[in-house]
Amino acid sequence: MSKRPPKVIVTKIGFDGHDRGSRVITACLRDAGMEVIYTPPWQEISTVVKLATEEDADVIGISSLATDHLIIPQLMKALRDAGLDDVKVVVGGIIPAKDEKELINAGVAKVFHPGSSLEDIVNTVRSLAESRTHSEV
Amino acid sequence: MRMPVEFRIEDILSRDRRAIARAVTALESGDERMHAIRFSVAEHVGHAHVIGVTGPPGGGKSTLVSVLIEALRARSLTVAVIAVDPSSPITGGAVLGDRIRMGAMQSDDGVFIRSLASRGHLGGLSAAAADVIDLFDAAGFDVLIVEAVGSGQSEVEITRYADTRIVICPPGLGDDVQAIKAGILEIADAFVVTKADLPDAARTEEQLKAMLALRTDQSIVPPVMKTVAVSGEGIAQLVDWLCAREHKGTRHLGSPANAARKLLSKLIRADGYARHLGLELIEASPGSATVRMEVQAHHINFNGRCHGGAIFALGDTALGLACNSYGRIATLVDGQISIASAVEGGEWLVAHAFEVSRSRKIGSYRVNITRARNGQYVAGLHGTVYLLDQSLQVEGS
Ligand SMILES: Nc1nc2c(ncn2[C@@H]2O[C@H](COP(=O)(O)OP(=O)(O)OP(=O)(O)O)[C@@H](O)[C@H]2O)c(=O)[nH]1
Ligand SMILES: [Mg+2]
Repeated sequence: MSKRPPKVIVTKIGFDGHDRGSRVITACLRDAGMEVIYTPPWQEISTVVKLATEEDADVIGISSLATDHLIIPQLMKALRDAGLDDVKVVVGGIIPAKDEKELINAGVAKVFHPGSSLEDIVNTVRSLAESRTHSEV
Repeated sequence: MRMPVEFRIEDILSRDRRAIARAVTALESGDERMHAIRFSVAEHVGHAHVIGVTGPPGGGKSTLVSVLIEALRARSLTVAVIAVDPSSPITGGAVLGDRIRMGAMQSDDGVFIRSLASRGHLGGLSAAAADVIDLFDAAGFDVLIVEAVGSGQSEVEITRYADTRIVICPPGLGDDVQAIKAGILEIADAFVVTKADLPDAARTEEQLKAMLALRTDQSIVPPVMKTVAVSGEGIAQLVDWLCAREHKGTRHLGSPANAARKLLSKLIRADGYARHLGLELIEASPGSATVRMEVQAHHINFNGRCHGGAIFALGDTALGLACNSYGRIATLVDGQISIASAVEGGEWLVAHAFEVSRSRKIGSYRVNITRARNGQYVAGLHGTVYLLDQSLQVEGS
């Protein structure tokens, strides 16, 4: 019985259009053996939910510069409403400490700050994906 | 081990998106639920029109699929798309990019797009593609579009699973138009010159038509159509042609594997002993059968373990189905078992029987019995069967 590679969505919601970070992360997760779906910026929350549902994603990575992370709690609620409570969400970007707390309370699994090592990101994403796949059984 | 209850077949049939998505994952991972899904959907396939789209890398397949989706939706047809992207042979990783290029209608529930990585499978598809096609078909989508990995000439695998095969050919390939003809020329149901807004389009069309004139079979000549994605030019014509095609049942419904599945599900249902032991058929093809059993209280011996006779019965049932799968009666004349590991109550065992040899009168079959949980070898059975000159008579379903 083979296990599938982690399936990860790398996306951006909100208004900021800088997607260099997402591209770097996408390449890096792919090189670590993961199956990655990378979307252009400015995605609607409903689009991300549909994407995660249909692709049966393990992890959603949101990159946020500016203040886009403030709408992440809405995404978390939309995921729950769609029955996707088990999908792990990680956020990377410039996130003030008080906002980080709010994100974690909203159900975000992990926040990465500027300067997080790519290795750390890869390992965290992988173990989150594995914890999701295992909790299913 | 109990099968994890994270989706139910009823939910798939009633088109619950989460259930469908999770079932696809199970099919992709090849885990034990794969068999149960295959069997449950087998009776419900045959409704969808399966369209395969193939052609050279960057040729405009995903873009064409995206405009097709819109056009089909405008005709109130529901659409599921399977987009296959290549996995890196070195890391196994993949960026699944087709879907994003199919971006249109993102929030429409009448459209379901699923990306699959090829995971080392050659031939332009993923190993699970055939099963995923059946799954979407059973879920009731009207049209299924499969985009295969564009890999030059080797993507002919799609021909086996599609009702309608579209080969795209953008202008400017030069001599590569010649390359397309190898193999694909004979199987394409239609050619589409994509990016027809580019200067060389007319020439590409001419070249294709000239090559089609060389086909050995001239009874059906596939049409050559031209499309421009941005303006939508040529799309209506393509969709009209697709919708007019008679497609039902042209796919693998009459395939030997499907016939074997149908016959063997009848046989196991008609078998009182198999029912008594709780045996379940999970896969079949001509010459092979896979049966599973959950070890329950009535299988347990005085020592608190699964009775050897129950293990033998499991293996013998798989063997019996495998050797009867051609519809001719076969009967066991000699069989030996060797048991490598003790089995506890509550475990699931899987017996896979396959043909070693078969002549006019005698067949030789082997069965491997493993634990469903981890594939660990539990027992092996070898049997010789005698083939009667009689066909099986089974009552209806
Ligand atoms: N001019 C023109 N360009 C097009 C047309 N259709 C697609 N393209 C461009 O062709 C490029 C490749 O298109 P895709 O649809 O991604 O091609 P594909 O065959 O799916 O590519 P792979 O999946 O990577 O093999 C993109 O840059 C498209 O914008 C068209 O009708 N006209
Ligand atoms: Mg493509």
